[in-house]
Amino acid sequence: MSNYKLTEEGEKYLKEGLPEKNLVVFLNSLPQKTATIGRTFSKVKNYPIALKWAMEKGWVMKQADQLTLLKPPHETAEEAALKKIHEGKKIDEKILNVLMQRNLVVKVSETFVKTEKELAKTGNVIGELTYEMMVTGLWKGKKFKQVDVETTRKKLPKRISPGKRQPYNQFLMYVREKLVKLGFKEMTGPTIETEFWNFDALFQPQNHPARDWTQIYSLKYPKEAGRLPAKNIVERVKLTHENGWRTGSTGWGYKWSSEKASQLMPRAHDTAITPRYLVKGVDIPGRYFDMVRCYRPDVIDATHGVEFIQTGGIVVAKDLNFRHLLGLLKQFAVEITGIKKVKFFTDYYPFTEPSVQISGEHPKLGWIELAGAGIFRPELTEPLGVKEPVIAWGFGIDRLAMNALKVNDIRELFSRNLEWLKNQEFRYAKA
Amino acid sequence: MPKLEISQSDLCSLIGKKIPIESLKQNILYAKGEIDGVEEDTLKVDLKDSNRPDLWSAEGIAREIKGRVTSKVGLPEYKIKRGNLVVHVDKKVSRVRPLTVCAVVRDLKINKQVLSQMIQLQEKVATTFGRNRKEVAIGVYDFHKIKPPITYTTVQPEGIRFVPLEFKEEMTPKEILERHPKGKEFGHLLSGYNEYPIFIDSANQVLSMPPIINSDHTGKVDEETRDVFIECSGYNFKFLVPALNVIVSALADRGAKIESVKVEYHNKSVMTPDLLPKKAVVDIDYVNKVSGLKLKPKDIVKLLLQARYNPVIKGKRIEVHYPAYRQDIMHPRDVVEDVIISYGYNKVEPLPIKYKTLGKMNEMEEASEKIGRIMSKLGMQEIMSYTLTNKDHLFRKMNVKEEKIVEIENPVSANWNIFRNWMIPSLMEFFSNNQHVKYPQKIFEIGNVVAVDEKQETRTRDIRKLAAAIADSKLGYHDIVAVLDGFMRSWKKKYRLRKTSHSSFIEGRMAEILVDKKTVGVIGEIRPEVLLNWKLEMPVCVFELEIA
Repeated sequence: MSNYKLTEEGEKYLKEGLPEKNLVVFLNSLPQKTATIGRTFSKVKNYPIALKWAMEKGWVMKQADQLTLLKPPHETAEEAALKKIHEGKKIDEKILNVLMQRNLVVKVSETFVKTEKELAKTGNVIGELTYEMMVTGLWKGKKFKQVDVETTRKKLPKRISPGKRQPYNQFLMYVREKLVKLGFKEMTGPTIETEFWNFDALFQPQNHPARDWTQIYSLKYPKEAGRLPAKNIVERVKLTHENGWRTGSTGWGYKWSSEKASQLMPRAHDTAITPRYLVKGVDIPGRYFDMVRCYRPDVIDATHGVEFIQTGGIVVAKDLNFRHLLGLLKQFAVEITGIKKVKFFTDYYPFTEPSVQISGEHPKLGWIELAGAGIFRPELTEPLGVKEPVIAWGFGIDRLAMNALKVNDIRELFSRNLEWLKNQEFRYAKA
Repeated sequence: MPKLEISQSDLCSLIGKKIPIESLKQNILYAKGEIDGVEEDTLKVDLKDSNRPDLWSAEGIAREIKGRVTSKVGLPEYKIKRGNLVVHVDKKVSRVRPLTVCAVVRDLKINKQVLSQMIQLQEKVATTFGRNRKEVAIGVYDFHKIKPPITYTTVQPEGIRFVPLEFKEEMTPKEILERHPKGKEFGHLLSGYNEYPIFIDSANQVLSMPPIINSDHTGKVDEETRDVFIECSGYNFKFLVPALNVIVSALADRGAKIESVKVEYHNKSVMTPDLLPKKAVVDIDYVNKVSGLKLKPKDIVKLLLQARYNPVIKGKRIEVHYPAYRQDIMHPRDVVEDVIISYGYNKVEPLPIKYKTLGKMNEMEEASEKIGRIMSKLGMQEIMSYTLTNKDHLFRKMNVKEEKIVEIENPVSANWNIFRNWMIPSLMEFFSNNQHVKYPQKIFEIGNVVAVDEKQETRTRDIRKLAAAIADSKLGYHDIVAVLDGFMRSWKKKYRLRKTSHSSFIEGRMAEILVDKKTVGVIGEIRPEVLLNWKLEMPVCVFELEIA
């Protein structure tokens, strides 16, 4: 039993008697063997502990304000055990557990010895409170070292910050969720595309200036061509370019090359995704959107990146017309940017006719361009097997994000500045 | 989209009516233009339609506005006087630059405005419509300095000498390609040929070497010039004819007189220019179906007249004649747009689309968003990087051997010429940009990498990944495992770590991450050599894994 010893409290009780014992001795000394709580409190040390244990052991009874003795005082097992431990003798395990629970006895473990030594080194002043101090109880009665509670914040060895989402990404998700609420399904496609999906399927002729090497990236590797879709689709696209096929168009009147169409390139615009879906078959009526990275060999400046995100999509349904096109754009302006005052401008896109651009009056920036749209040309939809009118639209999502995040340089959307990212407070503000 | 500069007073005089700037801003929509800036009399115009070269000058814009704001509607009329000039086309040009169409325009009243519009239009047509002079090169010459007839032929690179525009000395074609700025800019259009095309007159004066440069003597037009000879050369009449028509129509709009030229090929001869109006037919129902407007036939006729068409109602259809300078009309749909433009976009009442459809986010984006939320709750800051990078970042700095990678052939910058095939270099680069910021730095990114995959139809495959990294003054493998473990438990994926090695990581302090017995990523402590490559002084621990 040498690895157990009395705590300070244990030592005290050994000398002075257990509090509950002292309580019954006091009551027993009175002629009526009873007293008020007030009186007892002033006469007995550690009164709350004394009362708790005396009641638990059935030595006293409490009635209203009165304590009455039930059993006269006698020698207890705890007292005997405290004595034995003090003398280094063995005691019964049951009693040991009770005493340890009452924190009158502690196990003199390695931890105890070590912690006691460490505490001695600091002059028994606690620096950091530890688990060991807690389990050994060695904290009891010790002083805590005072810390500079006011200036500590200035000399933190490690700061913590909340993890935040990237603000541009958050803006994109805001727009994405809006579009989903408006009934749009998200489309995706591969980063590296064939020119076929990028241009040919969109009825953009192979000698179009937008397909010039100065306008689009080409690949050094993989250099080999990609694969074209089903033969009948390719044939119809080819004929439509050459002579209009059955679309009622004159076509572009040149010799279409499947070799050119199967060249691989990084996607130059988000619309490249759409024709794949038109060929696979879309829901009618259907609303679709995309939000993808696009790549163009632009000289990088405040408004141009080599890599940027575009958002666009389609609405396809029977009997859609130009008025619906304007209606859709107006809905976007209101729902996504919160701008209600809008104007429409004539515009041109190689794959839509009629085409339109919408601008809106921003409360701070004045009139800004919001989106461009049009009805896909029949030369685009018919070869891909779609008979219904298809409205195609696209936002200047990077411009909208720049407005929402109050940045003037498109490169900041992909910010490399940790401080800035940490300090952004983007609250799904309207653009 | 062509950007033009035009003079407001010149534009108004072409329209024949004074129009204040505020209404010009509205009216220019008829010509698909937007006034981007006003500096005294100069209007900066963004001309949206890159397929309507006829609109790329004050004359063309004026034509469209005139139809809407004055009584001058319907087809603009152009008279061509039969001229005597003959241009012989030598069979030899068929190997180099086979075709030309020509015109003579007389009685020009050239002032500064006219000259600048002429030069601007010629430049825009050759650059944008003519595909940087490949499809259309345009030459304009002082007719009186030419001794007809003219021959379009070829010469050997050192077979002739003439003074090119803006130069003082005679040069051979070869020297021009080597030394003249235009020769350097457009020389590639003649590379591979052993003879170069030239226009030359009967006195052996060189007019020009298309598509490079005019001669300084004949090919210079100034305010004194009265009559000009114009040629367009290229490969396809589909480009050449409209280009010439656009130029001569613009000059004729200012009162000049067009004269035809006989162009003699070895097997045929053609009279150019041809300004006969072209014809198209549109169903009345189709106009209303596409526009959503309920227009009566006579309304459509009125709107088409304003758009400078000559329409005639034929039963349920309208037959239209439109000007020869327009090459953009391929389908009745193109005519419908002009009807709506005449009607006025801002007078059309928008109609909401009533159909109900169910929206849905792409699953990968949904998963990414969920992952982003978990990671940020673990105290990690999200970043977003370009997927484009360079070999120095992807391989050398990471101490990794070069491998097959998707690479760009025509990069604008050496910083962005390949697609990343793993994420960690983007995070390292981010750290190296933020060494002045307090540590610890804890970042993550969710994004795509592009892998070479020959089995795919595009020979590549996008892979969505999550990568996370910590940089701190004291850091251990366990710190990053704690993040991975925290993430995996929230993401509800069972995972295992298996010891492996990788040249970017400290030996014995890295593992591969396995989910369902499949390797999905790596985790570990970055090698000090790699840290130094990024000029980092703080230890870095990272992981990256594929999101399936």
